[in-house]
Amino acid sequence: MPANFTSFYFLCFYACILIIYYLIPQKTQWVFLLMASAAFYLLTGNGWLILYPAVASLTAYISMRVMTGTEDKKKRSLALLLSAALLIGALIVLKYINFGINTVNAVASLWHPSGDLLKGFHFLVPLGISFYTFSILGYVVDVYNGIAAPQKNFFKMAAYGMYFPSILSGPILKYREDGEQFFVPHPFDYRQVTFGLQRMVWGFFKTLVISERMNLVVNTVYDNYMQYPGIYIWIATVCYAFQLYTNFSGSMDIVLGMSQTFGIRLPENFETPFFSKNISEYWRRWHITLGVWMKEYVFYPLLRTEAFGSLGKKLRKRFGKKRGKQLTTFLAMFLLWFTVGIWHGGEWKFVIGSGLLHWFYIVSGELLAPLYGKMMEKLHINPKSRWVDGFRILRTFFLANIGFVFFRAPSAPDAFRMLKEGISIWNLGVLFDGSLLALGLDAIEAVIAIVSLLILLTVSILQQKGSVRERIEKKKLPVRFLIWYALLFYTILLGHYGPDYSAAEFIYQGF
Amino acid sequence: MTREEVFETLNGVFQDVFDDESITVNEATTAEDIDDWDSLEHINLIAAVEQEFGMKFSMGQVVTMKNVGEMADIIISQIKE
Repeated sequence: MPANFTSFYFLCFYACILIIYYLIPQKTQWVFLLMASAAFYLLTGNGWLILYPAVASLTAYISMRVMTGTEDKKKRSLALLLSAALLIGALIVLKYINFGINTVNAVASLWHPSGDLLKGFHFLVPLGISFYTFSILGYVVDVYNGIAAPQKNFFKMAAYGMYFPSILSGPILKYREDGEQFFVPHPFDYRQVTFGLQRMVWGFFKTLVISERMNLVVNTVYDNYMQYPGIYIWIATVCYAFQLYTNFSGSMDIVLGMSQTFGIRLPENFETPFFSKNISEYWRRWHITLGVWMKEYVFYPLLRTEAFGSLGKKLRKRFGKKRGKQLTTFLAMFLLWFTVGIWHGGEWKFVIGSGLLHWFYIVSGELLAPLYGKMMEKLHINPKSRWVDGFRILRTFFLANIGFVFFRAPSAPDAFRMLKEGISIWNLGVLFDGSLLALGLDAIEAVIAIVSLLILLTVSILQQKGSVRERIEKKKLPVRFLIWYALLFYTILLGHYGPDYSAAEFIYQGF
Repeated sequence: MTREEVFETLNGVFQDVFDDESITVNEATTAEDIDDWDSLEHINLIAAVEQEFGMKFSMGQVVTMKNVGEMADIIISQIKE
């Protein structure tokens, strides 16, 4: 079975799980979910890899036992440090050691152009390691801080740590908010199950109908960008923005919908991020659970270290209260964004495209804010007008797209080259001579893509005023049926399926 | 220190941190009510409150505090000890 929620075999697997889940005694539902997660791991690849999340869960379980069994602060800290070292250590070794090696080799090649100084490693990386590591580590830290109850049952810890719907691409879980619901009985609730299934259909629409079509255009241009300069690069990048968004948020709709059918509510990961008016807001609406995790477990603890405290004092003394405070925050944010970037993958294109570039945006935004204010005042522009909001939304989308160029390009130097090609060549003629229809989507396919994007846009606008599903629920039966069946058949008929009935992998699955 | 006095002192700290003399806080005030109170300013605010009252919030309290009322509860319980 491919490790992919849109594959036919997975859907059969899920349907069996769902039926059995509501037939067995409710007290045993969580045990069954643990077994289903183990089966998912064993069926989707190298069975031995199940040991990684199992050992991570065991590590968390043991360290929590130690922490709760003693009042001794040193022992508690040691338990936290050891478990954090083990969890992060596994992540670093499996995902980042080659990043270090490649960087050393790149630097060494300046002096010794022939051959690599260090050899890279090839590991089989378990599914969703970045996601489960963060969920589990966050839980251990919360227990240490006394804000989450420790799990006394190892199997419950494993059921939480290995929960299969969220293992592939998140969301990152927070035990103190969503842990306990895993272990309470879930009687069959028709409304929750149908709501969950409806959300899954919406997710399939996003991934199979939109994302897969965008993917064709993106691949054509990004794989041969020297042949497709100028406006092609920008069109492909905007397509990539929609590809990534519909793929990742669509996979979240599937994961959250699937969980809802089990009676489990997972945290939201997206809130129409392309409507954001600035980059900070964008990150509060894109991959929300990662942002919250980084804030709670990296940014806050970093700023509250003694080192940062005394640095802050020195900077305030030297540059004045306001500037000093700003400088300290900027420095902590640099480390934060570096971490966010590298979490996406051990390559400079991620460190720049999903990390430091956004740090640069936020810092320059903060520094230039007074200047913008003055400019608006001089030009007699009302900063709260709709036009200004519209401009800010477009500007934020454009800035995010520059990040996507790095994210999608084969490497950071390629991304710089693409940006240069995108700016220096003005081939606007291709917009009108039909060349765009040779990028992978013919006229009919392009119309389907545009209509689907318009459906997405309409629903996104409606979502600003609350749940669309709840509003549909209030409509008369024939209208409800028409809407959901239309969406279902639209997705089945127009979805792009690859070989073996399965779409391309979720992009975020690799992280 | 009475609860009223704690809130009075907190008003001063909030006004200073957010550079806005019109701010007054009450039990139910949250980050939603103050424009600049984002995740960056939250830590600056926490540090300023700690300095003013000579106490320390734990990391757990920093991330779970829901409103100024809860902040006052923690301050009062700590300065009593």
